[in-house]
Formats: sequence, C-alpha cells, structure tokens
Amino acid sequence: MTAVHHPPAQQAPPRRRSDRRLLQALPYLLPAVVLYLGFLVYPMVDAVRLSFFEWTGFRNDEPVFVGLDNYVRTFTNDPVFYRALTNSVIWVVLSLLIPMLLGLLLALALNRRMVGRNLFRSVFYIPAVFASITVAAMWRWIYNPNVGSLNQLLEAVGLASLQQEWLGNPQIALYSVFVASVWQGVGFSLVLFLAGLQQVPAELVDAARVDGANRWQVFKAVTVPALRPTTAVVTILTIINSLKVYDLVVGMTGGGPAQSTQVLALWSYQQSITNHDFGQGGAVATVLLVVSLCLVVPYLVRTLKAEEH
Amino acid sequence: MLAAVAAAGVIGTLAACGGSAGGGGDDELTVWMLTLEGAQKEAMDTLVSDFEAANEGVTVNIEERSTDAHKDALRQVAGTDAGPDIYWYWEGPGLGGELVEAGLSKDLTAEYEQYGWADRFGEATLSNITRYGGYHGVPFTQQAEAIYYNKELFAQAGITAEPTTYEEFEAAAAKLAAAGITPITFGGTVNWHVMRLLDSLIETNCGSDTFDQLVTTETSWDTPCVDESFTQLKTWGDEYFNDGFQGVADAEAQQLFYTGDAAMAYEGTWFDSLTVDNGMDPANIGVFKFPTGTERLYGFGEGFYINAASDKPEDAAKFLDFVTSTEEQNKVVGAFSPISVNTEVPTATGNPLHELWPPLYDAASGFYLNNDQNLTLDQTTEYWRVMNSVLTGGLAPADAGAEFQAFVDSNA
Repeated sequence: MTAVHHPPAQQAPPRRRSDRRLLQALPYLLPAVVLYLGFLVYPMVDAVRLSFFEWTGFRNDEPVFVGLDNYVRTFTNDPVFYRALTNSVIWVVLSLLIPMLLGLLLALALNRRMVGRNLFRSVFYIPAVFASITVAAMWRWIYNPNVGSLNQLLEAVGLASLQQEWLGNPQIALYSVFVASVWQGVGFSLVLFLAGLQQVPAELVDAARVDGANRWQVFKAVTVPALRPTTAVVTILTIINSLKVYDLVVGMTGGGPAQSTQVLALWSYQQSITNHDFGQGGAVATVLLVVSLCLVVPYLVRTLKAEEH
Repeated sequence: MLAAVAAAGVIGTLAACGGSAGGGGDDELTVWMLTLEGAQKEAMDTLVSDFEAANEGVTVNIEERSTDAHKDALRQVAGTDAGPDIYWYWEGPGLGGELVEAGLSKDLTAEYEQYGWADRFGEATLSNITRYGGYHGVPFTQQAEAIYYNKELFAQAGITAEPTTYEEFEAAAAKLAAAGITPITFGGTVNWHVMRLLDSLIETNCGSDTFDQLVTTETSWDTPCVDESFTQLKTWGDEYFNDGFQGVADAEAQQLFYTGDAAMAYEGTWFDSLTVDNGMDPANIGVFKFPTGTERLYGFGEGFYINAASDKPEDAAKFLDFVTSTEEQNKVVGAFSPISVNTEVPTATGNPLHELWPPLYDAASGFYLNNDQNLTLDQTTEYWRVMNSVLTGGLAPADAGAEFQAFVDSNA
C-alpha cells in the first residue's frame, strides 16, 4: 500500500484572509452603510455646517455664512439655552439614578422562580412599547389639575394638601414629566438587566454559597462583576436617550411653563422649525452633540479597556 | 442634527403623503386647514360637496390639523413641493406674512381681475390681502375677539351690567371671585390663549398708537405702560384665572366655560357655534368688547392661500371663487363667523349670539391684531416666555418690558 502524501495545506496569511472576508461582507454591509451615511452622518454633518450660517430654512432664502455668531448668540444672548442645558443635565443624572436602579431591582426580583413571573415581566415592560406621545397624552390627563386622577386620588386618601399643578408649576413640572419617563423607561432597563442576569455563571454563584457567602456578598462579589458589560450598555443607552429626550416634553408641556421644562433637543427643534432659525438650531444641536460625545465616549473607552484587561 | 433630521423626516413624510405640491391625482385639490368640528365641519363639507357636484371629476381633499401642528406643517413645507394646493391661514404679518415672504403664497393679482374678487370683499377685509404687495390670499373670515360671559354667573355675583371700562371689568372679576366663581378661563399650554389678555392690557394701558409702535419695535417695550400691563396680568393670573391654567390647553379651559365652572372666556366669533355645539343655552351668554378704552376691536383675518408650487392653480382659484361666492356664503355664514367676508351676504341668523357682533364691528374704528401675528417668530417665542415667567413668578412684572426689549435689541 502506497502512502499518499498530501502537501500541507497552504494557510493564507491572516491579513489576506481578513481582506477577503471584508470583500465578501461588503455587499451585505453596503445597504446599511448607505442608509447610515444618508440618514445619520449626513444630517449630523449638515447640522454642524448650518450652525455657521444664518438661514430661515426656506428654499428661496440663501444661507449666509456668519462664522461663530450663532454660538456667540447661544452662549451670551439666548435666554432659554442655559435653562435647557441645565434641564438636560438634570434629566441625565436622574435617569442614571432612578430608572436604572429600579430596572436592576426589578430584574433581580423577577429573576427567580415565582408565581406570575412572566405576567409581572410583561406588566413592567408594556409601557416601554407605547409611543412616547401616547404616554404623554395619558400622563397629561393624570396630571390634569381639574379632572386628573392624581389630584383626585390625593383628595380621596385625605392628602388634598399635597395636590399640585403638576405641569403648571415651573418648580416641579420637569420632575412631573420625568416621572412619566420613568414609568415608560424602566421596562427597557429591566429587560437588559434580566438578559444580563441570565449570563451570570451559576457555578460561580454556587461556589460562593458553598464558601459561606450570604445573598449580599454573592450579589456584590459575583453578580455585579458579571453584570458589568450589561451595566455599560444600559448606562450608555440611558445617557443617549436622556440627552435626546424630546417627545415626552413636547407632548406634556411643550417646554413650558415659561420654558421651565425646556431641554436641548427640543430647543434645537423649536429654534429651527418653530422660529425658523436653522443656524441657531444647528448651534444648539451641535452643543448637544458635543455634550453627548463628552459623556459617552470616555465612559465607552474606559469600559472597553476594562473588558480587555 | 436633530433639527435637520426632524425637518427631513417631517418633510419626507409630508412629501410621501402628498407627492408634489397638492399631491393626489390630476383632478384632486388638497386643502390644509385647522381641525373642524360641529357646525364648521358641516359647513366645510357642504362647500366641498357643492363644489364637487358643480365640477364633475374634481375632488377636494381637506387635511385638518390642530392650531400649532398646522403652523408647523406649513412652515416645514414652505419652499418645497410637499405642500397642499390651498392652505388656510391667519393673514397677519407674523403668520400669513411670513409665509408670503417665504414664497409659499401665489400672487393672485390675475385671479382677482379674472373673478372680480376686489368687489366681493370689503376694504378692511382686503387690507391684509394687499399689504404684502399684489394680492396674497382670498379672505374667508374676519374674526373679532371679545369676552364671552355667563349671564347666570354674573347675576349670581351681583354684576348687573356689562363692564365698559377696565376698572369695571376688573371689579366684575373681583366680585365673581368673591362669590366663589372662577372669573375667567384660559389654557396656558398654548401660549396664544393667555396672550389675548396681555395684548388687550397693552392696548388698554398704552393706547392704539403706542401698541402699533411696540409691535413693530419702533418704540421701546421698556416703558411704564407695558410694565403696568404685566402687573395687571400677574394679578389676573393669581386671582382670577382658573386653577392650574398653566397645565391645561385651550380646549380643556373652554370646557370650564361650557359647564358653567367659569364665568368668562376670551374667545372669538368662532366661539358662537362652539358654545352651542357644547350644549350651552345661547340665551345665557353675553358678549362684550374688552374695555380697552380705544375704539379698536381685537381680531384678525383668515384666508385661503394658493400654494405657489401648486400645479393646479386654476382649479384652486375656481374653488376659492366658489366657496366665497354669495350663494355658498349664504349657506354657511355663521359657522365660521357671523359676518361674511362677502359684502353681499347678510349677517348670520342661525345662532342668537351672531346678533351680538354687528354692533361691536360697527362701533370699531379698526382692529388690533393678536401679537403672535404682529411679532416675528423668535420675538413671539420670547414674548410668551416673558409672559409666562411673570405669571409663574419667575420674573417681576416691572422687569418684563425691559427683559423683552433686551431680547429685541440683542436680536435686531
């Protein structure tokens, strides 16, 4: 019997293999890339470009280059900008504290075997699938000073002294809108954390328990580190969603009363679309973009580095 | 970024719905106007069905929006092909004038000549059509705004006569409040509702000439008569408005008047039919001019404009000729306003409230416009912010005029 010797298969260098894979993938990626460039990158770049022009947005009106004038006006002469910036920052901070924490606690509670677990998961998640404008309409009625259920409930339980003009009082209107946002958004964090909890290795939990760890110690030493990638995703999405909050505010207060619930995304829209000042709107949008990048990018980089280590 | 995406999205959506300006088929006219209800809806349906019957094969598609959505939609499509063939709009410089300037409105000089429209409408009605040069728009209503009041609630508070001076007006509000009745109802989430009171206070305290100089920024807002107006506004907000007015819209505020929970509402001629549609007895309602002490009535004109980008301007003009004709106006007068813009049409008689308006029109020397029709867009936004800041206690009334003037100066 003659042994047949096959020459060892020639292995392609890694670089060439990677190039070939890219070429194979390109036709599949192309439609998404085109859409991404057309609907995300182009408007973004164009808004930054517009922020250096004075333009009403009408076709028969030629944009006039004004350099940094729109930014100077935004930072020195816009009576609403700092209110909108402050409110956006407040919104981000509260969103990182409240719905995220609630989502995590609910996920921990619903990650165990219990009667009606799926029902509870659905109940907490359902608000997340509602359109924001629907949520806004619903909560506007709940807060209605004349026929709203919240004030009526307070009266019914003997707490009439706590009745408020929930959306009419500039001191509390922003927080009233935020409560609606928590109601709508907590389900989203809940689902992500639930998914993250499925990834916590059961053998590590068992080993910790065998070592005598109590529930808090297991949570702190095993669950929290295992949830780190999920927490990073939830944090980044929460920051981004908070900075672009718009529809709930429009639907509930329109930014009022007296611009007390104004946020950067809405102010950019109103400057452009309502006031027909696309340069000013572009300047506010660019500030929002920079703030978003400043908050998200460092966190993302740090998280990725930590994961590499 | 967001602005550009929003604009692209909305324009894209509108374009997808309408195609080129007006959209639809060759024989379909698209008309954008405010949301219509009750008698107004019936009247517009009558006009459309009559026109379609008289012009076989032509269909008219009315697209309705709420007040602010209508303004936004038209501003977004101005300069594009996504607009309607015809749009209904307010005629004042801050609203209709802005769209004329943006090139959305077609100059109808030739159509006025062809149909003889200049003879159909009165001089005052046409003044807002010709003020931009040529003829922009066809008048549809000349609305006036005044105080509607509930006679039973006035009697209950011991008010025996309609106020004829500002002092009497405020005294009436005080009596109503003392009797446990909400004197007047406003919806604060739509800023233009409360603005009606502020505009009238400025007309009262500053007089007609100064009012006109203020809105054209020919004179400074940092003046005692403006400060006085904001001070009075604050008093009204604190003591005489419905509770929680800042958290409700105009429609919710109007409900308080319909249900007898508020004694007064500052509304316009369109309110005649709304009160009846909402179950009020017109015999229990009175109307009086806001006692400014000037001879002018508060109000504005509304008209239909042909989109300059429409590819069916002849059909559009034919439709506007039809709906403002004597025959058709006789059928619908009263639904939109008790007094037709067509001078040959007599005052409406269908609703007892209509009879209250002719004396007010006759006694007036002219109109002072709502300030969101006078001021530029960014000035209007700031005017509302200052107004609401005063009402919510965030700004002292004495500083309000200076605050607004600072904005005017820095954005000149």
